[in-house]
Order: sequence, then C-alpha cells, then structure tokens
Amino acid sequence: MYEKTATELQHLFVSGQLSAVEITNYFLNRIENIDKKIGSFLQLFPERTLRKAKELDEKKKSGGKLGKLAGIPIAIKDNIHIKGERTTCASKLLANYEALFDATSTRLLEEEDAILIGKTNLDEFAMGGATEYSAFLKTHNPWNLACTPGGSSGGSAAAVAARLAPLSIGSDTGGSVRQPASYCGLVGYKPTYGRISRYGLVAFGSSLDQIGPFAYTTQDMALIAEVLGVHCPHDSNSLNHPKENIQGQLKQDLKGVRVGVPYHFLTNLSDEMKKSFDASISVLKNLGAEIIEINLKVLKYAMPTYYIIATAEASTNLARFDGIRYGNRNQYAMTLDEVYDLTREHGFGAEVKRRIILGTSVLSSGFSGSYYKKALGARGRILDAFTTSFESCDLVVMPTAPTPAFETGSIQDPVSMYLMDLYTVHANLTGLPAISVPSGFAQNGNPIGFQMIAKHRQDGFLIGCAHAFEQARPENIQIPSIAKEAV
Amino acid sequence: MSQIDDTTVANLAKLSRIAVTEQETKSLQKDLSKILDFVELLDELDLEGCYLCNQIIKDHKHLMRDDVVKDLLPRDAFLKNAPDHMGGMVKVPPIIKKD
Repeated sequence: MYEKTATELQHLFVSGQLSAVEITNYFLNRIENIDKKIGSFLQLFPERTLRKAKELDEKKKSGGKLGKLAGIPIAIKDNIHIKGERTTCASKLLANYEALFDATSTRLLEEEDAILIGKTNLDEFAMGGATEYSAFLKTHNPWNLACTPGGSSGGSAAAVAARLAPLSIGSDTGGSVRQPASYCGLVGYKPTYGRISRYGLVAFGSSLDQIGPFAYTTQDMALIAEVLGVHCPHDSNSLNHPKENIQGQLKQDLKGVRVGVPYHFLTNLSDEMKKSFDASISVLKNLGAEIIEINLKVLKYAMPTYYIIATAEASTNLARFDGIRYGNRNQYAMTLDEVYDLTREHGFGAEVKRRIILGTSVLSSGFSGSYYKKALGARGRILDAFTTSFESCDLVVMPTAPTPAFETGSIQDPVSMYLMDLYTVHANLTGLPAISVPSGFAQNGNPIGFQMIAKHRQDGFLIGCAHAFEQARPENIQIPSIAKEAV
Repeated sequence: MSQIDDTTVANLAKLSRIAVTEQETKSLQKDLSKILDFVELLDELDLEGCYLCNQIIKDHKHLMRDDVVKDLLPRDAFLKNAPDHMGGMVKVPPIIKKD
C-alpha cells in the first residue's frame, strides 16, 4: 500500500477496495516500525485518528458524499493547530500547549475527509534548515540516515519520503518546505503569499510565512493544493482569489512556455549540481520550452535582506511567549520580570534566542545603521527585478538548494547554515509561488531538487509546468530502501 | 567589521527579555558579529530613490473585520493553557510589593 500515491489511495477507498480503518492501521503500523529510525513524528493520537477513520467508513456505508481526500492519511507539521491536540513547535516552552481551535488548513483537509495521522518534527518555531534545532528529537533523512532531511519542515518531508503518509503539510518562511523536499526526493510547494490561509499556524515571519504541502507526485500536489487554496477571512493576508482547478491545468509539454534562467546567480554551483541543473534545462527544452537568460543580479542581496526581515518579524512575533497566558512558566521565577526573563531563557533553544536577539538588534534605533529600512528597500528592488524578468518569461528556474542533503551536525556556523537557503528565500521575500520537483540523484545517492517560480497567483500554471517536467523524467521518483523494509 | 561587545549583547538580551549566562553572551557576541558582517553586504547596494516594500502582492487589500465582540474562545478553554489562574483570571507574581 505504501507504493500508492494519494490519488490512488483515494480511489482504492472510494471504490471500496480498502476501508479507512484498514488504511489508517496500515500506516500507523508502518510509523511504529519505521519511524524509530527516522524520527519524523513528534506525536501520534491513534484514538482520534481511528475514530475519524471509523466515522469515514460509516459515512461511506450510509452513502454520504466523499471528499476529494477521502481516506488519505496526512501528517501535519507541529506548528499547525489540530483542535484538542498539542502544538509544541518543537519547543520546550510549548511542550504542553493544547490547540484551542483548528487551523484553516487542517479544517479544510478534514472537510475533504483526509485522515490526520500525526504531528511532525521541525526546527524549533520553524527556525533552521536541518531539523537539528528541535528541542525533542533529531530527524534523519530516509535516503541516508546520517544526513539531515533538511528543515525546518524536516519531519513532514521525512515522513512522506519514508512512505509513512502519502501527503503532509509544512510551513515555508525561507525555503522550509522546498529545501527538505529537494533533500528527500519529494515535490514541495510554496504557494503565492496569501493563497493558503495561515490561521492556526504559529507565526514566525508574518510577511514571509506560507503553509505548503509535500507529495510524491505533482498530481497529488495538484489535488491537495486545490483543497487548501481557498480564501479565509481569518487571515488578513488571505488572497481574495477564486479557487483554482489545478488538476485541470497539468501540462504534458511546455510548448510556448518561456523559461528564464539567472545563469550569473548559479556560478558557485559544484560540478555535480551544475551538471544536474543543465540536464534539467535540457528536459525543459525537449518539452518545447524556450530558454532565456535573465538578469537577477540583485539576488545577491536576498540572503541578508531575508535574515534582517525574518529575524525582525520573529523577535516581534515571539514576544508573546512570555510565560503569562500560556507556555511553560519558569517555576523559579519570583517576580514578574523573572517570569519573562527565565521563561524565555529556559524555554527557547539557542537558535531561537540568536534570532530573537538579532531581530531586536536590527530593529533597535540607532544601532549600526537602520538595517530594517535598508532591507525593505532591497526587498522592493528584488520584487522589481522579478517583475521585469517576468515581462520576458513565464517561469524562472534554478536549483532548490546549493547541495544535496548534508550530514547531520556537519554545519555548526550559523551563517553557513543560512547560506543553504540561498536559492529559496527570494520567493518568500517576493511572495511568488515556487515548487521543488525531484530532478535526479547525486553520486552518493541523495536526491536533488529543481525549482520553478511563477508569477503571483499563477499557482496552477506552476504546478502544471512541474507536472510536465516530472512526466518527462519518471525515473526521478524513487522510494528509499528503508521504506521498502518489511514491517 | 561589526563592533558588538559584551555590553551590547547584554543590552540586546535585556531588550529581548531573555536572561543570558556569561558563556551565552560570549557565544552570542561571536555569532551576532558574524551575522551582522554578513548582512552589511547591503551597504554596497545603492538604495537611492527606493521604496520601502511593505506590500508584495499588487492589488491585495488587507482584510479588516468589523469591530464587533464575538465569543470565539470561551474563558474555560483559554485558561487550560494558562500556567496559573484563579477566579477565572490569569495569575502572575505580585507587581507591587507590600511594605
């Protein structure tokens, strides 16, 4: 059953070949056996999951209308609320926090009869690129257990790659869905800013955050993207844009599509990554796309711009975790000041503290020039450069990450870790929709991803183009051997 | 080179409401200096006549809701996550001391 795509599983359920309880038990059993080695889940709630599966089987028996995601187990990053379950953000501070309402995204999934199977590991408060900064456990890459699955949505990526769930959702503030998707050989999609509601997602960088799914195939991605891409009055940045028929936009070729490549931005790629990227460009050409060189020299400034804006917003958003209204208040705090200072000292991990303090510094008046204003200016320049590029092309492509998955713990320096986001942060700064698709394997067997970026609100077109690319190279979709072990 | 000394780090930690040990101050001082050197790359960008980009999606209107009180979160539910509460209210340590 683990070889089935989400679309296939839904058909098997609807046609009566598998019950929801059978599917659920099968995946819960796989998680119990395989996840010991991978560490993708932080929590399971089998009682709730099986109760929902039983309800779904009864609904089917009584002839009720079945949803688009009927019977599909979906894993949820543990910074997104499921009412009545814990949302820990992989932080000691929120270890016992119970979600009081459903996130719009989890509500929409359940309304389409998906089965929420568990909450997945992440870098604490989604800050990191290797899922090493979780306060609870390290997640390993199913392709190579010594390597990171990427981050911050590493648990959601590893769970799908190890075939512990056919779909999952994560959040992408600077590449946290696309980068782990590329490291784990999956499709990972960050929507246009505002396309998927963030209501019920714990905020990190509000002008950058987007929820995004992981899937084996672009067909599955189209299915879940259609369900999640709806307007939501609870997120003030939700796009008031009609629901899209994305499955109807899946393309078989790229005839007439103009693809922009910022070659000057790719000069530091290793030979292996360059070769892989060039091979992907050939695939696009063979599909009929026209390749155009574009000028995005300003992308050199995207990393510093991102780290100023993201940390400034994080320091503001995380001010609410003060041990007063929720979270684990430090038990030794005697005064109100100590409640704040000690709760945050002991509740947050080193990377979160580093980012909050950095954010505080870039927002401090008179501190080393006004970084924040500069970053907003640079953000405008980056957006303008993309707008100009999109006058001559329909799609921009580049690698998803500078390297395949690296060994867990091998990058200690924060700046070196930040540079792993080199090719992803600009889509968050500009709000453009972007997708990572599997594009082959490195010599050491780790997957490599290829990234496509489209204009605002062209999410359906983007996933459609990714589908044509995927169909041309079906050998890029593989299952890691750990997932094939008998359970 | 960014000039970040221990006093600056201590002050930033205070503003961030995070207590830090001496050892943490040292490592933060090292990390923050590196990160700030890295973001100083922006100094070479000519931002003459630039606009401050606060809105990335053209034509998007921020949603505002009517200023109406609604009972979205019952008090009992809210208090479930409160570290300490009494009489339906969140309890905090005394702010004004008896003399």
